[in-house]
Amino acid sequence: MDFLKSGIKTVLGSPEVGTAAPSPAETVERLVERVTNSTLLQDRRDSCRALKALSQNYRIEVGAQAMDALRQVLELDRADNETIHYALDTLKNIMSPTLFKVEEDNHQVPCNIGEQFTEMFIKDPQNVQLVLDLLDEYDFRVRLSAVQLLTFMLTNRTRDIQEIILVKPMGVSKMIDLLGDTREVVRNETLLLLIKLTKGNANIQKIVAFENTFDRLFEIIASEGHAEGGIIVEDCLLLMLNLLKNNSSNVNFFKEGSYVQRLLPLLATRDDEAEEAGWAAQRVANVQVTLLVVRALVGGQGAGAGGCRRAVRAGGVLAALCGVLMSSGVPAAVLADTILAVADAVRAEPESQDYLAQVTAPSDPPRPTLLVLLMCMLNEKQPFQLRCAVLYCFECFLYRNESQQAALVSTLLPTAGEAARLTAGQLLCGGLFSRDAAANWFAAVALSHALRDNPEQKRRLLRVVVAAAGGGAPESLVSQCGRLLQRAADARAQVALLMLLSHWAAGCPAAAAALLGGGGAVGWAVSQAADTDDPLLSGLAAFLLALLYHYNDDSVPEYTKEALKQVIVKRIGLEAFVSRLSSVSRLEPYSAASKQPQPVVAQPHLLSLDYEFCNLYREHESLLLSGLAAEGPAEAEHPDTLAQYRALIRQQDARLHELVAQLDQLLHNNRTLQNTLNDSLATNSHLKDENTLLKAQVSAAGAMSAAPRGSTTHDAELKERELQEKIELQDAKLREYESEVEELRTALRTAEEGRRKAEEELVTLRKDQDDLLVLVADQDLELNKYKELVVSAQGGRAPAEP
Amino acid sequence: MAYAYLFKYIIIGDTGVGKSCLLLQFTDKRFRPVHDLTIGVEFGARMITIDGKQIKLQIWDTGGQEAFRSITRSYYRGAAGALLVYDITRRETFNHLTTWLEDARQHSNSNMVIMLIGNKSDLESRREVKKEEGEAFAREHGLVFMETSAKTAANVEEAFINTAKEIYEKIQEGVFDINNEANGIKIGPQHSTGAGAGGAGGAGAGGASSGGCC
Repeated sequence: MDFLKSGIKTVLGSPEVGTAAPSPAETVERLVERVTNSTLLQDRRDSCRALKALSQNYRIEVGAQAMDALRQVLELDRADNETIHYALDTLKNIMSPTLFKVEEDNHQVPCNIGEQFTEMFIKDPQNVQLVLDLLDEYDFRVRLSAVQLLTFMLTNRTRDIQEIILVKPMGVSKMIDLLGDTREVVRNETLLLLIKLTKGNANIQKIVAFENTFDRLFEIIASEGHAEGGIIVEDCLLLMLNLLKNNSSNVNFFKEGSYVQRLLPLLATRDDEAEEAGWAAQRVANVQVTLLVVRALVGGQGAGAGGCRRAVRAGGVLAALCGVLMSSGVPAAVLADTILAVADAVRAEPESQDYLAQVTAPSDPPRPTLLVLLMCMLNEKQPFQLRCAVLYCFECFLYRNESQQAALVSTLLPTAGEAARLTAGQLLCGGLFSRDAAANWFAAVALSHALRDNPEQKRRLLRVVVAAAGGGAPESLVSQCGRLLQRAADARAQVALLMLLSHWAAGCPAAAAALLGGGGAVGWAVSQAADTDDPLLSGLAAFLLALLYHYNDDSVPEYTKEALKQVIVKRIGLEAFVSRLSSVSRLEPYSAASKQPQPVVAQPHLLSLDYEFCNLYREHESLLLSGLAAEGPAEAEHPDTLAQYRALIRQQDARLHELVAQLDQLLHNNRTLQNTLNDSLATNSHLKDENTLLKAQVSAAGAMSAAPRGSTTHDAELKERELQEKIELQDAKLREYESEVEELRTALRTAEEGRRKAEEELVTLRKDQDDLLVLVADQDLELNKYKELVVSAQGGRAPAEP
Repeated sequence: MAYAYLFKYIIIGDTGVGKSCLLLQFTDKRFRPVHDLTIGVEFGARMITIDGKQIKLQIWDTGGQEAFRSITRSYYRGAAGALLVYDITRRETFNHLTTWLEDARQHSNSNMVIMLIGNKSDLESRREVKKEEGEAFAREHGLVFMETSAKTAANVEEAFINTAKEIYEKIQEGVFDINNEANGIKIGPQHSTGAGAGGAGGAGAGGASSGGCC
């Protein structure tokens, strides 16, 4: 060991003396740092490899620190398959759903550590996409690691991953494509991945079916050798089962795609000698899953199931199932599953039921298969699950098939000369009287299925007479049953007989009268109903009595309708009787049995109620209760109940008020909130408007500045520019005009001045003129004076001159 | 049950345009006035005859609600035909066709035959989309067009069958690669044995598998 250690030291370098070795967390930290920051691919690759090596022993440290670094590698180092492969493997180890060996004793590691890390990883759905993208990588290690990592993640967080993958286009399709990978390891791992992926998600199941997966699965199954093949066949069938279970759309697709026939080779039996050698464990598993697939097809209650049942019969699968049933060496578990599959396949399908009636076992003399099955059911030594399966098969065989019900009852009626042949009716009668309480139970329930909803057979069965066990006189079956009821030591037998008699009496007054008339069944039932030790028994007894009361035709003087009621009221009290009767549906066995037609009982001592009886009870309960109440003295009889109901009503009323108040409060809140919202909306829109306005202004400003460059092409801006130009143009004109006006004004002013001068001149001129005129007048006067002077001067001197 | 070819269809379009009713009318020949919302995708099937050949139609009816879009997208790749449906009494279902078509073209194989269907043609009085508009849209995008009524069954058969005829013609022309099942076409068991005699190299794998199952 020391030698080894020193060897490692020489490789890694010895730790410096005096310093402790780095803790795992520190080592991881350093490696993460290198993965994140190193520029050398080789470095990152080596660090990833080292992280992978550490991730098993130090899962928490690696997971806590390296997640982001690894994610980064997946994103950026896609080109290097080796690095990617190491990163994927590290993530795989971190998220592994199971604890590693080293972790098992370490209590610091929580058992859901893988789930926690998965949750962290998928917080960003993009991370899942990264892994999905790596499925495209053809490299073997990368693809395989990616598939396995996805499987782990799906195991840990099924619903989350399913939802993420569902919204990725082609997410599902990509995975299905890998089924075609020629490398079987990849294909097989993909199968496991798809099984996880399809669990409980109908949408994914449908997409997977749509992508021709049924074809691929059947091809793989064929290549692996059908039922004789290995675990891969089982995986294929498990995936098929996932796709079909509770998915009526896929079931319909399976039927329409004619895939039903392709199940046949899986159910093929070998010749007897080979079968005697026994079944290999894997073959048991393969066939069991195949049978579950068949049941997923035909087991539905919906309208589609009928079509599937017909396809199963037409495709020969029903015949193949019967073949398995009758071949030798079939393990008991497979046999039980086959019987259940046959049961589901024939239920409510008359042709298939009739087919089953005709199948014979290869015994000597040949007996009907059903007879062999019934023998098995009534045989104490057979495995209990097998017996339960046969009962279910018998129930389905008789379900809604009046002719088969009639045929069964006929085997009990006395016929001429065929006493030697063993019949189903004889077997069942034998079962009723058997010492095995489970056989009593099975026989009584089986017989009750022959009477279900069939008044005709109820009447016919009344004619059956059985020789008493002690060798006494033969007695009718119905009174024998009454007697058995009193004698039976086991509660299971009593429960079963009460169920049988209830079925018998319901809707058949003749049977009710026969029960009332003899055997002491009524007295026993009354005392049983009065007794509260076993609530189930007292409830069933009360139910039977109520049926006898309801279907009483007063033909038995001892127990007329009124007399029976008096007995009940006196011995039990009407109120107690009603509460016993109505308590049945609240009992645990009732809720267990009413879930599904197939009896699911783990142990023989747990046998209790039967599914069809629960239906009968449900159909009759309210009818019987109202019948009892209506004819009794109404309210006075049960003041307690009345008070109870009143209290209940009061309670509910109070609650109602409370809720209404709450509602009002909430409505009010809502209104105020609405108002606030409206206000804010108004403010918002106002602000928006302002914003738009401002934006417009800004853009206008921008347009103006941009206009000279002429680079904007926007319409408005163009228009604006046009307008701007026009304005400028008009401005210019305006300026022109203004200057003109100015000019004109000055011109005007000069003109005016000119005029004023002219006027002044005119005035002066006029004055001058006046002056001149005055002068002229003066001179005229002078002239005249001179003239006179001249004349006077001339007259004196010159008369001689004329 | 033997068929020559199997075609896969999808039906797409807005919610409430009558996709599920079209399918029900085609497969069951009945009409249900009140139909539950289709959750995710539902399946239906029927056999038809074209050119004397039995053809099986497998039809996936998708939920039209927005919530199912991502689920629906997974079905485009494997489908040979698509019925794109709108409601002639609701204009907005017509307006959304472009989005549907983009989605379909993006996720499907390029040869997928798309039939445009204006449904509810019986409600003439409430019509909001004219027939000519549907025709114009189909012409513009290279689709086949029809108006149907899932209620009266008018043109419903034709819509499904004409789509199949179109696909069949494409097969005859060799446009579709019928050996690639991802295209939404499968050769039937009876047909593939016949083709095996023809001896195309690609039929080898198909022949082997059919030998195993039949």
